[in-house]
Amino acid sequence: MLQNINIDVHHLTRVEGHGNIKVNVTDGVVETCEWQVPEAPRFFEAMCRGRHYSEVGRITSRICGICSIGHTLASVKATEAALGIEVTPQTTKLRTLLKHAENFDSHVLHVYVLVAPDLLGAPSAFALVETHAEVVARALRLKRLAHEWGSLIGGRTTHPTTVLPGGFSKVPTVPELSAMRDKLAAAVPDLQATLETIAALAPGIPAFDRPTEYMAVSSDSEYGLYDGFVQTILPDGDRARYDVADYRSCTNEYVSPLSTAKYTKNRLDSYAAGALARFNVNYDMLHPEAKKVAESLGMGPICTNPYMNSVAQVVEIVHSAHEALRLFDELIAEGVTEEPLVMPTRSGTGAAAVEVPRGILFHEYTFDDEGFCTEADCIIPTGQNHANIQADFDALLPWLMASGKSEDEMRLAFEMLVRAYDPCISCSTHYLDVEFVR
Amino acid sequence: MRYLIGIGNYYGRDDSIGLRIAEHVGEAGLDEGFRAIDLGGNLLDLVHYLDAETESVLIVDAAKMGLTPGEFALFTPDQVASRRGHAGLSTHEADLMKVLEFAALLGNPLPPITILGVEPAELADEPGLSPVLQARFGEYVDAAVTFLTTTL
Repeated sequence: MLQNINIDVHHLTRVEGHGNIKVNVTDGVVETCEWQVPEAPRFFEAMCRGRHYSEVGRITSRICGICSIGHTLASVKATEAALGIEVTPQTTKLRTLLKHAENFDSHVLHVYVLVAPDLLGAPSAFALVETHAEVVARALRLKRLAHEWGSLIGGRTTHPTTVLPGGFSKVPTVPELSAMRDKLAAAVPDLQATLETIAALAPGIPAFDRPTEYMAVSSDSEYGLYDGFVQTILPDGDRARYDVADYRSCTNEYVSPLSTAKYTKNRLDSYAAGALARFNVNYDMLHPEAKKVAESLGMGPICTNPYMNSVAQVVEIVHSAHEALRLFDELIAEGVTEEPLVMPTRSGTGAAAVEVPRGILFHEYTFDDEGFCTEADCIIPTGQNHANIQADFDALLPWLMASGKSEDEMRLAFEMLVRAYDPCISCSTHYLDVEFVR
Repeated sequence: MRYLIGIGNYYGRDDSIGLRIAEHVGEAGLDEGFRAIDLGGNLLDLVHYLDAETESVLIVDAAKMGLTPGEFALFTPDQVASRRGHAGLSTHEADLMKVLEFAALLGNPLPPITILGVEPAELADEPGLSPVLQARFGEYVDAAVTFLTTTL
């Protein structure tokens, strides 16, 4: 067993934003084992204050470029809850379909571009182009499909434009829905190939278990991505249920010296959000085809291996594809009509929760009598996962040391663990920094 | 199809210039003969627009080029080298040049790509453009639209 370990990963790659891994062991004594998050706060909640309810969703969708559909949906739902707006069944169906597009898109990106390189021993997706060109091409085909799917309903996939409090500013036509439905159905061979790829790579996933609490949106009618209540499950199967409006009672934000982001906890010292949490909480509501995939990959609830979050994402890719086909068929059969936006009936405070790819997302707003925002609160899933990642770190280090791993193997195991959570630490800046060479 | 693709962070001060140009062109109906896309920070999605069906792409972004803040330049990817040195490829950590390199590696011929870079005056986690870029906003829009409507 290694007695001296020094791991210093400054700015972990293949995650969104800035996080560091620091592990120090001297003469067998653990001195440091930390997941550090030094991103600067961005004050979106403050930016919402004083803005009209019709603008708030557009502002908060910019919190994230990957989960902008989820932020938009959480925002308009919270706004509607605050203003007493009840949207039509068509709106709910279209929004649910849009939510599936985001999950599908993000999971394909994460599994293929951010996780697969680790399991294939490649430093990045660049190397995969040379060694696994068909896998990369398939990933891009699936991602493009989701991009078109989200754009059809949301106006555009990144920061959707058609989703507004009270409904949609524009809805897709039945022929457009039919064409998109056919494209999705044609992608089934690519989904099958995805499963085969993941099944081949699964032996590379570390067999590390750490039971924790899992939190997700739950519903009695569906898997819980778009709407429902909050539910948590402990490793022994004990469940607890919370109204979305009481979200603060189960998130319990607090400040950690390791992070510029707030941490959360509920019944245990930390909880997990994300695909694995949804899988554990909502397994019974998975589409049968997705359950088959889980079984074929040897996965069932309650899965306590955090690395399996990526496998749960593959299960959800299949779930979203089949649920979307069902929703497309229903909308095509029922027909889609332009509907006026539902108007507010009151003012006050309202909260909402939706599932974004990385876990449960809460938005809450208060609006005055003229419809202007006076308070806003957003609790993102990555923030909820930070404490759980740290708790995993605390258990992982002795497990790795007892396993006789080398320092390089340990470094990779820590990096893979963080990547498994698919953290979206911050949407940072993207400007070019170039010099002219000719 | 021709595309004007704006990338950046909408609440990153001058880093938002590409998004604001794309947004303005679309809202003002200036996109005749091409489509204006606000891609946000979702840089990997740029790959979806670099296929055989695309005639040409103009990417609009803030670019630290060593020019006077507010100045702009049209250039092609092979005319510059990125000073960023990220090893991996993600949606956020990879800069534009990395994504273009990745797209080229995929083996399909890329459409003609031009970048309209605007030298930023202020980069910060704040909404709105700096006064320097705001004052010249019309010039950037004109340059982008002129390029897409007059250049093959």
